[in-house]
Amino acid sequence: MAKNTKGIEVAEILPDRCIACRICIGECPTAAIELTPDGVAHIDPELCIGCGKCHESCPVDAVKFERKMKRRLAREERGALPEPVGGYDGVAVFIEVAGGAGVQVSWELIGKARELARALNSRVLGFVLGSGVDAVAREAVEYGCDDVYVLDDPRLLQYLPAVYGRALADLCEKVRPEILLMGATHLGRDLAAVVATLLKTGLTADCTGLSIEEETRLLLMTRPTFGGNIMATIFCEHRRPQMSTVRPMVMRPPEKDPRRQGTIHHPPWEPPPMDLPVLVDFIQGVSPGSGIDITRSPALVVAGRGACDPSSFHLIEELAQAVGGTVACSRPVVESGFMPYERQVGQTGRTVAPKLYIGIGVSGAIQHLVAIQGAEKILAVNSDPKAPIFKVADVGIVGNYLEVVPELIAQLKKRTG
Amino acid sequence: MHIVCCIKQVPDTAEVKIDPDTNTLVRTGVESISNPYDIVAVEAALRIRERYGGRVTALSMGPPQAESSLREALAMGVDDGILLSDRAFAGSDTLATSYTLGCAVRRLSLDDPVTLVLCGKQAIDGDTAQTGPGIATRLGFTQFTYVTEVDWVDLENGRIQVKRKLEDGLEVIRGPLPALLTVELELAKPRRASLPALVRSLRAPVANWDAKAISASPKELGLKGSPTWVRRISSPPAKTGGPLFYAGEDLRESVAQTLDILFSDKTFAAKFMNRWEA
Repeated sequence: MAKNTKGIEVAEILPDRCIACRICIGECPTAAIELTPDGVAHIDPELCIGCGKCHESCPVDAVKFERKMKRRLAREERGALPEPVGGYDGVAVFIEVAGGAGVQVSWELIGKARELARALNSRVLGFVLGSGVDAVAREAVEYGCDDVYVLDDPRLLQYLPAVYGRALADLCEKVRPEILLMGATHLGRDLAAVVATLLKTGLTADCTGLSIEEETRLLLMTRPTFGGNIMATIFCEHRRPQMSTVRPMVMRPPEKDPRRQGTIHHPPWEPPPMDLPVLVDFIQGVSPGSGIDITRSPALVVAGRGACDPSSFHLIEELAQAVGGTVACSRPVVESGFMPYERQVGQTGRTVAPKLYIGIGVSGAIQHLVAIQGAEKILAVNSDPKAPIFKVADVGIVGNYLEVVPELIAQLKKRTG
Repeated sequence: MHIVCCIKQVPDTAEVKIDPDTNTLVRTGVESISNPYDIVAVEAALRIRERYGGRVTALSMGPPQAESSLREALAMGVDDGILLSDRAFAGSDTLATSYTLGCAVRRLSLDDPVTLVLCGKQAIDGDTAQTGPGIATRLGFTQFTYVTEVDWVDLENGRIQVKRKLEDGLEVIRGPLPALLTVELELAKPRRASLPALVRSLRAPVANWDAKAISASPKELGLKGSPTWVRRISSPPAKTGGPLFYAGEDLRESVAQTLDILFSDKTFAAKFMNRWEA
């Protein structure tokens, strides 16, 4: 262990582990840590007092420090942080309403909420906001909510962040759920950030994994970060509710049970007086290729850079028909102008979870792979045996798609008669 | 009219990876860039200024090297660049970040009231899309996310009309100023800086504001003001992949074996045969 000129055993950063999160910089009581232009933290050994706070706070064990006594001290100090979180109970799901019906991702989240509530020995709560939403509230019970809180008001017919945000935050303050889950839809992401800010609590976006840590009862939220290259597991210790958004199709939807019993509450609600925006117009599906929602298709035939050729498009289309699916594509195909953005699968396109995914000439960049994690079966066709898509495929064919695809279509037709 | 753009400097995410052997981050050659969505916000701000007059201030919170993102905005034509840099800001999550940026916008409003704040829809390193709505909520500004077009700004009556991209179409919505917009990439193609502008931007002064300058409460800053913590990082779950067949050897046989494997899962095969019903 290195000592500085004052004889103090100092902490050291392991540069190849540092993720430049800057947490240690904030923790260091003597301002001895700086971020270098290379994007890693660096500790000035002459300023370091060897307290070990950086070591304690580092999420990735990138700080080398071995003095145990000091470490314990640092832990005690951190544990002394006040902010009690008692008095909160229940796993709540915000049930998004579109066109008078509950949105699919909300039901998926109820399934997850049941699992979390079991681990916590708690209840599942549904929060429904809208106008004329009684049927949605009943459906929420059938999907697994024990209690549903409904704010039914004509002024909630149209989603406005300020109104919905205040309403949902008020509901959280009244009902005090321990956890609040929301779908990472356009509306959900917009609203979740408003509610978290009003409640001054932590929010983790686009989680792909949620679980309860037994010893602490904390919600562990895992999400892809750095463009999907890295998974980070996040927790929120001192504030409630612990908030998380989850993309559609990531969690498995629960079975609906019409016999399930639950209580529907109608707490009073009065919107605060505000100068509000007004919806002027809604232009249905304006972009080219409109009306196609690849996330809803049970099977996808996805054309990649290796099959980006309009003259062979009929093959892709025919295969999609043979498997009862839809044509989609990877990012290079959209960039070439051959297919519209609506068809794009990937980090910057849509996240999909079809029962069958067939990649034709898709190499499998990480940004593409994170968006197909939920696929049940993956079949890949590519001329390069080293293509990363084969690493995630259930089965693959190495070859020229112009030969393979017609054979696939022929044999599929033969098998299904 | 005073427009503020918020810019985040981010690592070029396509380059960040975990070494599968050592499970450590590989960041050699990873460059810092300005978040592409935020540069579109700068372009949008400049176009609004061209139409209605006023001035544009670019704001970036980050370590000292984030100054280069502000210089990029200055080269494009913004009037002022302000760097929010302080050790106290380190370790901020989105709640603390929106607090800090909100304080800075309030501070700017003391000299020249801010009419519009423009942010990118999300940053490409975190993809959270939370900071924009967070700032709007803290400031009490009207919030418009996923904006693809600014139709008009009516300064006299304090109104703005924009188009927002939603899952199933475009929403045309108008509301009161001041407002905060988060913008989609298609809103505008960012201009290239001219050479003289580039040279000027290198010499333009960039103010550095710390926590005191924006009258921020230390409790709400950085790590202390951040309710979320990272417990651990890992590589995305690795899969080894299923068997590979080579079409070059025997096309018919390869395809037949592939389909055998695919349909060896009987429940899956049944769903397929019924073309996904039930």
